[in-house]
Amino acid sequence: MFFHIVLERNMQLHPRHFGRDLRDKLVTKLMKDVEGTCSGRHGFIVAITGIESVGKGLIRDGTGFVTFPVKYQCVVFRPFKGEILEAVVTMVNKMGFFAEAGPVQIFVSNHLIPDDMEFQSGDMANYTTSDGSVKIQKDSEVRLKIIGTRVDATEIFCIGTIKDDFLGVISDPGAAS
Amino acid sequence: MPQSIILDSFHLLVSNDMHFIDTGADIPDEDDRRIHRRPLLPREDEQEDIEDLQRRIQQRYAKSHDVEYDEEATDVEQQALLPSVRDPKLWMVKCAIGREREVAVCLMQKCIDKGTEIQIRSVVALDHLKNYIYIEADKEAHVREAVKGMRNIYPSKVMLVPIKEMTDVLSVESKAIDVARDTWVRMKIGTYKGDLAKVVDVDNVRQRVTVKLIPRIDLQALANKLEGREVPKKKAFTPPARFMNVDEARELHIRVERRRDPATGDYYENIGGMMFKDGFLYKTVSMKSISTLNVQPTFDELEKFRQPGETGDGDMSSLSTLFANRKKGHFMKGDRVIVVKGDLKNLKGSVEKVEEDTVHIKPHEKGLPKTLAISDRELCKYFDPGNHVKVVSGATEGATGMVVSVEGHVVNIVSDTTKDLLRVFADNVVESSEVTSGITRIGDYELHDLVLMDDNSFGVIIRVESEAFQVLKGVPERPDVALVRLREIKYKIDKKLFAKDRYKNTLSVKDVVKILDGPCRGKQGPVEHIYKGILFIYDRHHLEHAGFICAKSESCMMVGGSRANGDRNGNSFGSRFNHLRTPPRAPQSPMRTPRGGPPINFGGRHRGGRGHDALVGAVIKIRLGHYKGCKGRVVDVKGSSVRVELESQMKVVTVDRSHISDKVNVSTPFREPSRYGMGSETPMHPSRTPLHPYMTPMRDPGATPIHDGMRTPMRDRAWNPYTPMSPPRDNWEDANPASWGTSPQYQPGSPPRRTYEAPTPGSGWTNTPTGNYNEAGTPRNSSSAYANAPSPYLPSTPGGQPPMTPSSAYLPGTPGGQPMTPGSGGLDMMSPVVGSDSEGPWFLPDVLVNVHRSGEDNTVGVIREVLPDGSCRVALGSNGNGETVTALPSELEIVVPRKSDKIKIMGGAQRGATGKLIGIDGTDGIVKVDDTLDVKILDMVILAKLAQT
Repeated sequence: MFFHIVLERNMQLHPRHFGRDLRDKLVTKLMKDVEGTCSGRHGFIVAITGIESVGKGLIRDGTGFVTFPVKYQCVVFRPFKGEILEAVVTMVNKMGFFAEAGPVQIFVSNHLIPDDMEFQSGDMANYTTSDGSVKIQKDSEVRLKIIGTRVDATEIFCIGTIKDDFLGVISDPGAAS
Repeated sequence: MPQSIILDSFHLLVSNDMHFIDTGADIPDEDDRRIHRRPLLPREDEQEDIEDLQRRIQQRYAKSHDVEYDEEATDVEQQALLPSVRDPKLWMVKCAIGREREVAVCLMQKCIDKGTEIQIRSVVALDHLKNYIYIEADKEAHVREAVKGMRNIYPSKVMLVPIKEMTDVLSVESKAIDVARDTWVRMKIGTYKGDLAKVVDVDNVRQRVTVKLIPRIDLQALANKLEGREVPKKKAFTPPARFMNVDEARELHIRVERRRDPATGDYYENIGGMMFKDGFLYKTVSMKSISTLNVQPTFDELEKFRQPGETGDGDMSSLSTLFANRKKGHFMKGDRVIVVKGDLKNLKGSVEKVEEDTVHIKPHEKGLPKTLAISDRELCKYFDPGNHVKVVSGATEGATGMVVSVEGHVVNIVSDTTKDLLRVFADNVVESSEVTSGITRIGDYELHDLVLMDDNSFGVIIRVESEAFQVLKGVPERPDVALVRLREIKYKIDKKLFAKDRYKNTLSVKDVVKILDGPCRGKQGPVEHIYKGILFIYDRHHLEHAGFICAKSESCMMVGGSRANGDRNGNSFGSRFNHLRTPPRAPQSPMRTPRGGPPINFGGRHRGGRGHDALVGAVIKIRLGHYKGCKGRVVDVKGSSVRVELESQMKVVTVDRSHISDKVNVSTPFREPSRYGMGSETPMHPSRTPLHPYMTPMRDPGATPIHDGMRTPMRDRAWNPYTPMSPPRDNWEDANPASWGTSPQYQPGSPPRRTYEAPTPGSGWTNTPTGNYNEAGTPRNSSSAYANAPSPYLPSTPGGQPPMTPSSAYLPGTPGGQPMTPGSGGLDMMSPVVGSDSEGPWFLPDVLVNVHRSGEDNTVGVIREVLPDGSCRVALGSNGNGETVTALPSELEIVVPRKSDKIKIMGGAQRGATGKLIGIDGTDGIVKVDDTLDVKILDMVILAKLAQT
């Protein structure tokens, strides 16, 4: 799920940047530091959309660095248990398949793939129904439900299922070609 | 002494207590009988006698202690029964081996014959103790007297059993073999030693059990034997366990009979006297040859047993054994459990309290009592798919993962680290948020370390097993995994080495490379280790070998710049999210590639100057010599000497190259000095240009704060010639910005940059490389470098709106209350010295000022209004009741407030707030803010006296 929230961060700025462009630099640095990171609480910070406020700078003893508390608005992406997501399959193996929904990697175990789909090894490993009508392979787009998440400092990993109504392949690259 | 112990142990007990003999003349007789039928369980009729005996023993001991015996004796009461110093002692007497019982019976006979003459109390012969019997008596002399003249007993050594050990003599580990059907046992002896077996029938009378085993039969040998051929006596190996295939046996002309077992009525295949059914061997063995304690069947074993057609039913029934072998404290408060047996089967709940054998659970169902007490054997842990769990016992102990499915008692887990599927018992799993891969370290070596082995081969540890490592060897041709024991490892290779990729770019650890040929062609990931020209690359999409790929450095290509964007860089989605400003990493044009390497990065400008060693720019520590211990940045390398700019002292020193260690912050070539200097002031912003695609957070100035803190931007250039010039400085330098921009060294980098920047909204300066530098030289443009970032939400064009500061352009959402000085952007509002140097309209209404116009005296006035151009309308007079004039800011001066004056805060976060100056401390004023009643210490400069109203 995406959220637009306000976060706060203490930015350390080198004294060299004190000048006209201080604020710019602060913001540049903030974006550089923050965008694309992942925190367990908020999920992935996708983009900074604005700065709420920049607090008073505090000069650090010894270094001359100045710490600014910066409040910024950003779009975060956090997967939740039970959330339905659309994802692109990145890898298929006999244990299941991996899919990605933006920055989040999701694993769908073969236990969580409908029983009528079987693993077919080969050049393009895939899961296929017995009648061959539905095929999950690399680059397929699937709709899946997240049943578990594990949040690390730098990554969110999810377990998903397609063993439910209205879940499964939504577009198949193989079908188009 | 706890009477039950004596009876349970079925050991010979002969008593000489007068009381005892008197009241029960038939006792010796009974004991006699028991001696003969020793191995058997007592019959029903005997049972009564035993109870009788028990009661009498109780009476006897009760008498001596005056202790009320109670069936439900508590622990404390039990303690009271323990022998004390006042009780008769136990003496250990040596006797002939194998004659223990005989001796005891003889002594009993002697007691009966001699009556009170013999002063011993009892005699105990233990089955498991050969060579000794115990005699209970008050004095050693009594023992000697009793055994005098007897055969098979050697009274030379009569040892006193310490009081503490007396109970141990007669207490027996409740060895009561509780073998029930369907329990799992292990074979103790024979071909099947150690094998798991399932009890199918128990014959308590004959002390035999029938067990079901997976046969280990060498059919060929069996055939030979049955046909009377020579069979080699000693077998060197035990045949592997596998299911009996009757057809196979028939092929070898082994006679297979199908017989009905009279006892059970089932049909068995009989081969050479062995009974088989469904491929299993049914074997009847003595109870002594099986072990029932601590049988922990592994998952694989159980799976095997389930193989031929057996469904889940067996699983559940066999659980009882598993449960029996549960460790103490198996259930913990908060565990989610499911009832697997009894009326409440399938009831889910969470554990509230655990007592000895009962678990109080809080059912999840509504309408049930708050807590239910359920035997722990009827409970099983329960997990939902998606739970994050840790394996606490079994083969995969320590691993963590997420539950993907639950099949009865078995949980399927996707391991966190290997992404493998693990099948474990729910019992062996606990919910946990921890993430581990089981053990990751043995000795000094840890998972993913690069190690050198005995045979001088090297590799990366990709898995840590209980006693060995799996090592992916450094053989690029094919993945070679070896199992290496701790002692076979010589040492960990901890060097930070460099290698050259196909295009002679210097690769260092963490650089992202793409493999161009070999078995893993096309894979890509950060380099984890470099050794002898071999790279170990980690590709998270590579499932084998824990994601590690071994490749020659020549068959790889560096992708993106060196030192990619920290942790994000190995992930493809990183670029997806950074694409706003970062060029896609993977499709690097070859042209750009050579520029990616750090040494060549900006080398072009300074070619012919200093050597482009990878070391240059690196933060190092001096290990030896006069400057030992000093940290610094390498500014130059000349032969074997290195010039180092010290952090602590403002000077550059020359040290021997061997005297430095680059441990401090491994190879931070170029990035740092160039980061801000070039990055934010020139249009070629590092994070946006392909030249400089990645900024690592590692490279933060924070890494070497002192060092950075000491330098001024000017010196930046002077000290480190590698620092690219920012445009303003360029003017100062004699170089022509235009020629710089078009200099051939830069040229190759420009076109890609341009293509990249082209879609940037409003990035007018990117039109021509030359143009951009010219423009960059103007302050406005340089300050709007950020605004040029291709952010979709950026409304302004850089050169476009003069009155708008970049910050205000960027910040549509900035609260209006924030004062914005057009001339100085957001700086002064954040600067701690706000106001002191700003001549902007920082006046506020109602402030008392001194107006000094040329040719006029200073007059006091009150600001009524601040006009947009910075001038103010001032009402003259200390109360503001004079005439109103318009004054320029330069003509106004704030009236410095005095203690207890009402003031207005002119700067900082509190700007506009009013308060009272309650004290002055040097240049700081202590202010009590009206609104919040906070007491603040503020610079006097930003305080203005408020006009009295």
